[in-house]
Amino acid sequence: MKKVININFQGRVIPIEETAYDMLKQYVESLRLFFADEEGKDEIINDIEGRIAELFEEVLKKGSTCINDSDVNNIINSMGRPEDFDADEAKVYTKLESDSSTGAKATAEPFVRGKLYRDENSKVLGGVCSGVANYFNVDPLLIRILSIVFFGVAFWAYLIMWVVVPSSSSVVIGSQRKRLFRDPDTRIIAGVCSGLAQYFSVQTWIPRVLFLIPFLSFVFRWGNWGFWDFPHFVSFSFSPGAIVIYIILWLVLPEAKSAADKLEMKGEKVDLNNIKSTIQGDLVGFKDRATAFGNELKERAQEVGENISNASRRAGTEASSATRKSGGGLGRVTLVLFKVFAYFIVGSILLSIVIGLFAVGVILTGLLPAYTYVLDSNYQEVLAWVTLICFVWVPVIAVVTWIIRRLASKKGNSGVIRLTFLSLWIIGVICFVNLLISVSSEFRYRNRPTEETVALSNPSVNRLEVKSMSLTKYYDRSWLRFEPFNTLDGDTVLVKNIQLRIVKAAGDSFQVRVVKMANGSTRDEAERNASKISFSVAQMDSLLTLDKGIAINREDKFRNQQVIVTVAVPVGKKVFVNENIGWGNDVHVDMGRGNNYRDWEDEEESYAYRWRHNVEYVMTEKGLERTDKRIGDDEDADQSDALEQYRKSREEIQKEREQKLRELDELNRELQTPVDTTGLRSDSGRYRYTPKQKDSRRVRITNNAPESNQALGGTSNLLMIHLP
Amino acid sequence: MNIDNTQSQMRKGVLEFCILSIIRQGEAYPSDIVEKMKAANLNILEGTLYPLLTRLKNAELLTYRWVESNSGPPRKYFMLTDKGLAFYGELEATWNELANAVNALTAPAIVGQNPDNQL
Repeated sequence: MKKVININFQGRVIPIEETAYDMLKQYVESLRLFFADEEGKDEIINDIEGRIAELFEEVLKKGSTCINDSDVNNIINSMGRPEDFDADEAKVYTKLESDSSTGAKATAEPFVRGKLYRDENSKVLGGVCSGVANYFNVDPLLIRILSIVFFGVAFWAYLIMWVVVPSSSSVVIGSQRKRLFRDPDTRIIAGVCSGLAQYFSVQTWIPRVLFLIPFLSFVFRWGNWGFWDFPHFVSFSFSPGAIVIYIILWLVLPEAKSAADKLEMKGEKVDLNNIKSTIQGDLVGFKDRATAFGNELKERAQEVGENISNASRRAGTEASSATRKSGGGLGRVTLVLFKVFAYFIVGSILLSIVIGLFAVGVILTGLLPAYTYVLDSNYQEVLAWVTLICFVWVPVIAVVTWIIRRLASKKGNSGVIRLTFLSLWIIGVICFVNLLISVSSEFRYRNRPTEETVALSNPSVNRLEVKSMSLTKYYDRSWLRFEPFNTLDGDTVLVKNIQLRIVKAAGDSFQVRVVKMANGSTRDEAERNASKISFSVAQMDSLLTLDKGIAINREDKFRNQQVIVTVAVPVGKKVFVNENIGWGNDVHVDMGRGNNYRDWEDEEESYAYRWRHNVEYVMTEKGLERTDKRIGDDEDADQSDALEQYRKSREEIQKEREQKLRELDELNRELQTPVDTTGLRSDSGRYRYTPKQKDSRRVRITNNAPESNQALGGTSNLLMIHLP
Repeated sequence: MNIDNTQSQMRKGVLEFCILSIIRQGEAYPSDIVEKMKAANLNILEGTLYPLLTRLKNAELLTYRWVESNSGPPRKYFMLTDKGLAFYGELEATWNELANAVNALTAPAIVGQNPDNQL
């Protein structure tokens, strides 16, 4: 008994059985999917529907009361199913009727290609594991054990495949059942994401981003990876476990190669009921099958246990056969893993380039205020802006755009976009070069430096401390610091382009000399710039106060102003550079043309810059020396120096020894009481005493005879001083 | 090397030529074309014929007119345009060249025992 409905088909009323109608609907729908990308698809469908309508009329004319299943089947067979059309061969496929061998081959093909099904015959839960095992031609037990071991990752992969991979028992009629494939048309790496998107009928970028989020977090955590991150690596949520799932899906999912595959990939909609019924159906009888699986596992384990004696021989042969069996699968695994690795490396490099460009962009943009101290004219400022936008930011935006477009798999207009970015960038390059030329011309000439001697109020002090006036307070720290610039206030910056030399003085009094230098577009300009430098040096008793930097404002631009302060120290006198001076000799901008001014460098110069903050030096005939020199601290300490050092250290040791003896006496006095009253055994062992001195010398007292307290008091020969 | 692939390539190249030549003989209805080809032992699915005709029509090689039919909806009858005729002429020339060349190459393989004497 079948229900017959009337349909309006191509302008005719046609009585048709409901099941036949469903078939017809599915067929037309599959044609629609197949010709989806064709230019005149509506016309084609219309033509075919017209022809079908004509064939229906013929059937009805023969006396049938309605169209039934077999009629529709006959018509569909004569028209051909989309699977029979060959997608890649311009959708044309003919078959010589006499040539039956091709037909046989066509049906055999799917089995050769190896489709992934959930295995209904040997399933435990959803049949995913045995299906995968079939696919790779390995033992299902192996896959099952692996999936249990890597439960964290495998859980999600299992779930996806359970829902998405069709069961082997499901009958494929008219290729309407949707299947998960890797989509080669819109792929980036292997088409896993686009396949998933096709399956769930969502935008392609959604699965891509979902897979990418963990990847990003992985890249950003690159610096602080430790051993204990491994479990984290395996877990799925927001971790690179997604990469593992990706690999699993890549390995296991077939690529949608033929037209039929693509049809199946697009297939019918997947709704919640579909998924629910799949899972519910499988859960029936799960308990029994699980017990069976447990038993199997036990049996296998027993088997292995029994065979362990002659395992070596058998394992060898078994392994070789297993390798042969799963050779294809293993080869594919290796290939995929290799590809994943390569993509991962490329991705990391790309990402770091983008991040690097981005950082450069941010820094250069953040430095915008500083430009006004360098750039002279409006022309240069315009150039700087264009350079910043086109030369630095355009590549960042271009790469980000490219990545987004790849993720969203947008096609078309890419040429226009590429051309736009490229031309913008070329403009940026031109501006950059112009800016460099223009700015460097401002720095072309350097003034002729003259050494000015600063009059000191009291040059004959024994010790001179070099300090700087502090102009900023502790709260004046800015978040972005760019040496040698240091912002003072709104329109003044300090250029810390200052060097301090310490040399030997000829006479017996301190001397301070200052050299000011600057660049300019002409020699005169350079001289003017140098003369504008205000740098004050003042002495107060033993303090020599210097400015913290060279102040420049928006009118007096930065033209590589530089000051070299020379402190000449007479032999035997001490010098000390306070840390608050803030600049060392390592930080300075040097844009001078060549090293012409360094011709006078002699040996003295080699150590004139070699001083450290917060260290007291004494000037000797040989040069600067630290006053607190320790043994072995300086390799080039000469013989007499070492001797002196030795003498000094002996005196120190002597002093120390006396002090220790005094301490010992006190200790003995303290020891008197407890030794007399309590049991001698308790502290009969050893008594150690380590004085808390800053230096490394240790004193150890070993008391071998605790009973004889008197002996302890007088025996200085028990005192052992360990010297390093 | 997939034999199916090669075979379908070969057929595909000839198919358009065959269809055009059938239409050249007179206005044709798609199922007529299928029948004629079937009679010549060259089987084609109707499902593949329709898109092919649409494509040829869009390339302005074919045109059609509607003809009322007593059984079913009106039918499309296809005929060649001038452009289609010229196209057919070129295809025919190519086919003759190809057929001669293929015959010349394949036939002597049986007869010619000594290939050195061929040239």
